Amino acid sequence: MENTRNTAREWVHGLTALILGLFLLGISSGLGVIKNIVDLWGAVLFVPEYPAVVLRDIYIGWRSWSRNIAGMNDEVVRLRNENAKLRLDLARLASEKIYTSSDQTPRTAKVTLRAPMSWWSEIRIDRGEQDKITQGLPVFSNGYLVGRVSNVSAMSSWAELITSSSFMIPAVIEETRELGVVAGDGSGAVYMRYIPAGRAIRKGMKVSTAMIGEQLPPGLPIGQITGEYTIGSDGYATYKIEPGADLSGFFTVSY
Amino acid sequence: MLLVILWLLQDLLTVFIGGGMQIPGLFMLGLVYKLLVDEGSEDSLWAIWSAFAGGVLWDLRWIGIPGFFTLGYVAVVMIVIQVWGLIPPQGRISGMKLLVFVLMEISQLLPPLLPVLILGGSAGWSFFLTQQGYSLPAIIFCMYIYLRRVKNIRNSVPTPPHVLIGSSAGDSR
Repeated sequence: MENTRNTAREWVHGLTALILGLFLLGISSGLGVIKNIVDLWGAVLFVPEYPAVVLRDIYIGWRSWSRNIAGMNDEVVRLRNENAKLRLDLARLASEKIYTSSDQTPRTAKVTLRAPMSWWSEIRIDRGEQDKITQGLPVFSNGYLVGRVSNVSAMSSWAELITSSSFMIPAVIEETRELGVVAGDGSGAVYMRYIPAGRAIRKGMKVSTAMIGEQLPPGLPIGQITGEYTIGSDGYATYKIEPGADLSGFFTVSY
Repeated sequence: MLLVILWLLQDLLTVFIGGGMQIPGLFMLGLVYKLLVDEGSEDSLWAIWSAFAGGVLWDLRWIGIPGFFTLGYVAVVMIVIQVWGLIPPQGRISGMKLLVFVLMEISQLLPPLLPVLILGGSAGWSFFLTQQGYSLPAIIFCMYIYLRRVKNIRNSVPTPPHVLIGSSAGDSR
């Protein structure tokens, strides 16, 4: 009996609440006072909601900041690639300029002496001051750098080879723009030294002279990475280079 | 007090999210949960008027027209009271998982459905469906709490379940 009475009471209250809800729904859309109540309730809730508003603003700010950072990183990568490409183009232009500085075609010189005792260090060529040879002028074989003029006389000149142990020039790996120093070992091998260990240097990457050297113009092709390398205790790697020119058997050079 | 906290939490989460996603109806989940575990009270009038008040306040805060969620909230409470009242107290803790889940789901389904049905529009349906997706984890969590409570009651005293439920619910109030 008590249970039935409770159930009936629940029905009465429930239906009353529903009717009241419907009544509110029906009349409130046309009443201006509801807007005032909504505003008042919003003002009351402003205080407890304030931390959520602050947190939301912080979150939005952080999200915007992280998006900007991601965008800036992309921009940096894009600019870095563009910069590397421009450097390459500049180096190529400089290289071409060498050939076109005096006349349009590279001039050649014969190798007149290559002493067995200094086989990997120097050669003598049959061109001198009369042929506008100057000290420091790069000499090429098969389009690749083989050395530079170290001593000039009237009719002939001496050129130091890149395999010489005293030959050191700044160079760059074209694909990664890593800078290092190309040096010979006096025994026919050529190395690129002082590359920080752990860089993504792969076999076949091209090596050319770098812009930072004043003695030689940038972009002169030297050879390519062989893949052999050693890492020193100082944290720098030394990569072996395969010269583009056949250094053991060339009879003429161009300059 | 729990219902006030849940209402405020639901409100704060809605403010924090700022419309990016739809917040589950924590207030109604709490109300239904209290109804399901509250076996000791004589009637459930408190639940009806709590739902009414919560609905009116929610409408005033987020809809601007009182009545939409109010109707849904009260309707849900009435359904839960009537359906749960049909189950004998002895049977309420044995094998009623599906029914409890359905009742909790109704608490999330019905209130946002009424505005969509009344106002219509594809945006409203999208809003509704999104909220249903986000509500499911909350329902599952609530189910987990409910089942753990039932398990504790079963394990605590080896007396008939309906006696246990009555005493524990009395404590909770």
